[in-house]
Amino acid sequence: MTPDLTSLTRRSLLALAGAGLAAASFPARLSAQSGKILIIASNQDIPNFDPHTASGYSAAFLLRNVYDPLVRVSGNPPEAVPGLAESWQVSEDGTEYTFNLNPEATFHSGNKVTADDVVYSFTRAAGLAKGNSWMIRDIVDPGRIEAVDEGTVKFTLAMPFAAFLAVLPWQFIVEKAAVEANLGEDQGQTWLMTNVAGSGPFTVARYEPGTLYQLARAENAWQPGGGNLDGVIWQLLRETATQRLALQRGEVHIAVDLTSEDMDALEGAPGVVRIIEPEYRTFSIKMNTESGPLSDINLRKAVSYAVNYEALVEAAGYAELMVGPLPNGILGHNPDLDVPRQDLEKAKEYLAQSEHPDGGITLRMVHVTGLEQQRRFSLIMLDSLKALNIDLEIQPMAWPDMVAASASPETFPDFFPVYQTANYGDPDNIAFAAYHSASNGNWQNAVYSSPEVDALIEEGRTTIDPDARVEIYRRFQEAVVADAPDVFGVLEMRKLAMREAVENYNFTPVASNAIYCWPLSLN
Amino acid sequence: MLLFLVRRILLLIPVIIGLTIIMFAIARLLPGDPVGLAAGPNATQVEREALAQEFGLDRPVWGQYATYVTGLMQGDLGRSLLTRRPVAADIASYLPATLELVFAAMAIAIVVGVPLGLLTAIWRNRWPDYLSQVVAIGAISMPRFFLGLLLQLVFAMWLLWLPLGGRLPIVVMPPPFVTGFITVDALIAGDFSTFVTALKHLAMPAIALSLSPLATIMRMMRSSSIEVMAQDYVMTARALGLPRRKILTRAIARNAFSATLTVIGLYFGWLLGGTVLVETVFDWPGLGLYATKAIVSQDMMPVIGVALVIGLIFVMANLLIDLAYGLINPKVRYA
Repeated sequence: MTPDLTSLTRRSLLALAGAGLAAASFPARLSAQSGKILIIASNQDIPNFDPHTASGYSAAFLLRNVYDPLVRVSGNPPEAVPGLAESWQVSEDGTEYTFNLNPEATFHSGNKVTADDVVYSFTRAAGLAKGNSWMIRDIVDPGRIEAVDEGTVKFTLAMPFAAFLAVLPWQFIVEKAAVEANLGEDQGQTWLMTNVAGSGPFTVARYEPGTLYQLARAENAWQPGGGNLDGVIWQLLRETATQRLALQRGEVHIAVDLTSEDMDALEGAPGVVRIIEPEYRTFSIKMNTESGPLSDINLRKAVSYAVNYEALVEAAGYAELMVGPLPNGILGHNPDLDVPRQDLEKAKEYLAQSEHPDGGITLRMVHVTGLEQQRRFSLIMLDSLKALNIDLEIQPMAWPDMVAASASPETFPDFFPVYQTANYGDPDNIAFAAYHSASNGNWQNAVYSSPEVDALIEEGRTTIDPDARVEIYRRFQEAVVADAPDVFGVLEMRKLAMREAVENYNFTPVASNAIYCWPLSLN
Repeated sequence: MLLFLVRRILLLIPVIIGLTIIMFAIARLLPGDPVGLAAGPNATQVEREALAQEFGLDRPVWGQYATYVTGLMQGDLGRSLLTRRPVAADIASYLPATLELVFAAMAIAIVVGVPLGLLTAIWRNRWPDYLSQVVAIGAISMPRFFLGLLLQLVFAMWLLWLPLGGRLPIVVMPPPFVTGFITVDALIAGDFSTFVTALKHLAMPAIALSLSPLATIMRMMRSSSIEVMAQDYVMTARALGLPRRKILTRAIARNAFSATLTVIGLYFGWLLGGTVLVETVFDWPGLGLYATKAIVSQDMMPVIGVALVIGLIFVMANLLIDLAYGLINPKVRYA
């Protein structure tokens, strides 16, 4: 044990602790494995249980386990599988969806789930306009959802929406009678914040804010299949290194916030399975296409060819380089797309055509204070731009300030790094949020606006035929690359680790940290 | 005495008003867009405006302030913009954990620091004195989170005596809520094994938090004891041949402790506001983490609420300290 104490970081200290742990005889401290309670370590609290106002992955975890959507998402690549609806029909033109509810489906109260409850839930979500309701805004008109009979519900969409089945897993059904009985003055928002009116396979058994949230298998869990879990505990462990240690000690079964360093440390750890999978989560650097020097496309291209992409992917740990604007592997993604890679000659050619042929300017890049990954990216940009004789001013900012800076092209910095997590497994999600001009003014796409790209995105979301969509998204990718609004960065792998005792886990690249526990078993 | 108490409690009113005004002003002066942040990237302008309206953020500041003060009189601290939860309920659930931690840390600091200060004063300039001076400087200057990690490494990882973090193991149900201090509640419920478990969980974070005040209290006690020892009345007592023990407890310790009390009062408030690092390392679900999360997301209602509660407790603690002066030293008793 000879590290220089002055440079001993928390991580290396705990790594040492891990080494000590391995050496010490430490046989069966697997308290978590007694009984059939699955314990998940996370660093995010669950302050709100209301399925129509809550957001964040921790809430998604809770909601998808205690509530049911019409359809669920499963598999890799992800696809819609039955939830409350055991089957569904789609009209030719893609505007009419008819769902047949599973007759077995019952709420925790014992009441049957009816088409009325479905209509009520969508109406409530649309009325509150919070949480996940944006996914179906302008698509689902509550007035055009019809309870055909007790077990059938029909949606007439305002326009065809290819991703409809992909967004449904995040629209949860509440029991109308239970919510109506507790409406209060805010449509039951206060009541549902800490109470559950769902039909999911689990209920909330106890919660201690800041410490844990415990789910128990619903007495009348009606869902087919299902593992042997009696319950699930979402335990808050704020430091990723602590999560890793707890996993190694067998005190938790799954850790969901691990870093690349943690994954390295877990390699070969006895009893631990690492899950390192690509997920639809992009990390790119947005450029200010509307104001300042980078509104010059030649300068943007010069920058795109100057970036040291190898360094980006290396700095990101478990990651792969993005090929264009869409996440690798998603429907329509073109892996052979011709995207800029580091090529200083090309970079200088473009620079020569720009308004600053000799460089000599200073650009500004912001990043979230304390996010190490973004800081590293900033340094790589600084280094890469030196080759073009361009200086980079790096400015760490608090996240709320970055959100505020996105409001207009004038306040938006030259470079703006953005993580973009897919909320649903369809290319429309990232295409619309990150490149459609409708998102201008918010951080996902503060400034970039192109009528051609807008049209392609709209065509892509209203076309139902998958083959036709692939073609549209190919054109979309080429159009975006031609405009060079982003330095396309990396796709970080999802990094989860779990005990071998967890059985029947299958990775789905959408919201994989909000684990759906029903199929899981503990041995 | 009663008059003094009433006066001091009345003094709380301007403190509260001042605190709220300052916090409101800071909340307004900060750049950033809390509504945009809370509404999320997918909200439309209309939805953002609706959110601002729901929380009254579209109104002029003085109007918001008036609403806040009106609510405050009914014990309503507003609602968090981000989680939508009432701040008063949140504080009620997080404050006991922090208070338990701070009380435990102060108890350790006083129980160990005061006698140690007295002893080092007696053994002035001999090796126990030098040793404890060096340790004290080390304790003051060592970052608390680092100390926390060292403790975890030694006691949780190597010796396996104490748990890594949390207030209780997740399989143990906390005792029925009375004071919110799990140790005390367990005793009230007569559940001795939970008490011991809770105490084990409390030990490391409390020690990590206590070292800095302990060292300061010790040094304060040492220097004031040395000062008191040089006083004429101590010399007189010696000349009269009073037992050494009696001189020490009656004349020296008592007088020296008055000065130390001030430090204790100040440290109490300082610890209340400074638990966040220890809370993070030990996963202690306290107010520090809650406030930090609110600050970084510019969720101002929780921030104002926490500042107010900590301010109040700080003032109350110092009031108690002032009363304690009188208890120890009749010369400063209040009429």
